[in-house]
Amino acid sequence: MDAFQHLMEGFAICLQWQYLLFAVLGCLAGTLIGVLPGVGPAAGTAMLLPLTFGMPPIGAIIMLSAIYYGSMYGGTITSVLVNVPGEAASAITCLDGYAMARKGRAGAALAIAAIGSFIGGNVATLGLVLLALPLTAVALKFGPPEFFSLMLVGLTLATTLASRSVVRALVSAALGLLLAMVGMDPVLGLPRFTFGQKDLLDGIGIVPLAMGLFGVGELLLTAEGSAAAVIRTKLRDMWPSWPEFKAAIMPIVRGTGIGFFLGLIPGVGVLVPTFIAYAVEKKVSKTPEKFGTGMIEGVAAPETANNAYCNAAMIPLFTLGVPGSAVIAILMSAFMMNGLIPGPFLFQEHPDIAWAVIASFYVGNLLLLVMNLPMIPLWVSFLRLSTPILYTLILAFCVIGAYSAHNSCFDVGLTLFFGFVGYAFKKLDIPLAPMILTVILGPLMERALRQSLEMSRGDFTIFFTRPISVVMIALAALFLATSLMKMASPIKEDRVV
Amino acid sequence: MQTMKRPYQVTAAVLLVLSAFVAIESLKLKYYTQLGPGPGFFPFWLALCLAALSIVMFYQATFRPAEPKPEDFRFSRRGILRALAMCAAWVWAVVMLERLGYRLTMAVFFPFLLLTLGRVRWPIVVALSLLGSLAVYYLFTRVLSVPLPIGPFDGIFGPIDALFY
Repeated sequence: MDAFQHLMEGFAICLQWQYLLFAVLGCLAGTLIGVLPGVGPAAGTAMLLPLTFGMPPIGAIIMLSAIYYGSMYGGTITSVLVNVPGEAASAITCLDGYAMARKGRAGAALAIAAIGSFIGGNVATLGLVLLALPLTAVALKFGPPEFFSLMLVGLTLATTLASRSVVRALVSAALGLLLAMVGMDPVLGLPRFTFGQKDLLDGIGIVPLAMGLFGVGELLLTAEGSAAAVIRTKLRDMWPSWPEFKAAIMPIVRGTGIGFFLGLIPGVGVLVPTFIAYAVEKKVSKTPEKFGTGMIEGVAAPETANNAYCNAAMIPLFTLGVPGSAVIAILMSAFMMNGLIPGPFLFQEHPDIAWAVIASFYVGNLLLLVMNLPMIPLWVSFLRLSTPILYTLILAFCVIGAYSAHNSCFDVGLTLFFGFVGYAFKKLDIPLAPMILTVILGPLMERALRQSLEMSRGDFTIFFTRPISVVMIALAALFLATSLMKMASPIKEDRVV
Repeated sequence: MQTMKRPYQVTAAVLLVLSAFVAIESLKLKYYTQLGPGPGFFPFWLALCLAALSIVMFYQATFRPAEPKPEDFRFSRRGILRALAMCAAWVWAVVMLERLGYRLTMAVFFPFLLLTLGRVRWPIVVALSLLGSLAVYYLFTRVLSVPLPIGPFDGIFGPIDALFY
């Protein structure tokens, strides 16, 4: 097989010691960037881009790619250990990952996240090798109507993120959609609900929102005494048990599929697949009411999805030269700075470089796993710090993260505000996940809807005349119907609707 | 047995007021254009959905069997003081970060929290305050090239800054 031969040649190049070193450095830097709050993969990759100017092209791209998927795992570490998402895509992992840490299963959560990330990343890379062109052709059929329908599916899944009350989940989702309206109107560019505050013109950032809701809110609860302290983990409990491994298999499979498919579509962003993967797991689970209490599935699925997404997002870049996100655009600039134009001609004009980079994804995913698994006891030992020291460090961490996102004290204040909101939501048993999901989906949906209606000159039937859109809308209707049926069913003792 | 009836009724009332506010503000924006919904379209209908949900929440809290109030719903005096200490430290950071600069702000932030949240020995307070204010500053500004605010009195760190040039 031609692709197989090229891939083997790629391995022969990327396994040279200097390129292995670049991959290791990239994975380390990426993990650190993921751990540090406010410094997301886009900012981290952009900051480290100048370091690669003196490197050979293959080395530069290998290192920057490793930073990208390394940062996905780094964000998981703080989500699990201290309920503060180090990187926005890891916000959903806070729900079950932190709950697992509170039960003394932090090591198991981090291990499953690492293993899931490895599997998701490698399967996505295999997809890149075998199926890139035909899959990209399908993904390119996604226009604004299909985008809107896809987001609608995501929105209906918000109801599956309900804990005991669908009404409260819908309230959370509606509030998230309203928060997403703050800022500039996506089509006309007019300010909306900014009340004259220039800091709100860019909307409400996901960093202060997620950090406030999950991190600060939880800290306030713990300080006040409403949340249980984290249980210290023994070394022998660092590894997932056999039942946990078995329970994680299908979520990893589904997370891989979701992350891979959504990675092919430019513009989706890494947050969407992680939330959808979580929501799907909760939907298919026999015990959905246990999600949020420390279910391994709630960690395995989103963590697999985000790494599968990262690797799959390279496919439009390699096959068509289309960057699907800000980080991929930075990677694309790295290509161009080295005289390479990503796209179909890259494989013809520079096959050695293209296949070496692709082979490095396998190597990088393996390095990430090999480097991070032994470090789990080190990360978990962080929880042994005394309570005042741990809380102080986490709060400082959040202040720095909130500030460094946009160099703005307004964001720091906003984080505290959302901390109060998170605190109130926890007291009132209003789930946080639907709010985060709709804050992300809201702007994408609105932009897609309005662009679709501009295409059709105001005719709503555009959504029903395109096959992919029709399928998505039918799926959304099915999810909504099952949620409404659940809402209308007789009240059980352990459930209030 | 205490129930969640009153808290949910109050929450529903607050949400209803919020949805009325959002609906009024939305009507000040363009509702519809020649090519489809305008900036006011979505927020207006969302406000109405939120109002409907608030009414349902109020109805359920008032006329359906109420959930029992969790034991930890009310807070202890000691607990609320700890939470207030965190908020005070945070407000200090919001107000003073760009006035005093990162280093001096965190030089107060760290010891305040370490001493109010529990018993921490002085050497650890000093060590963590130095690490949190100075080491983190240099990590972000010199290594990661992420700017952190500088204040008018940051000249006192001149000799240390000189080490990093």
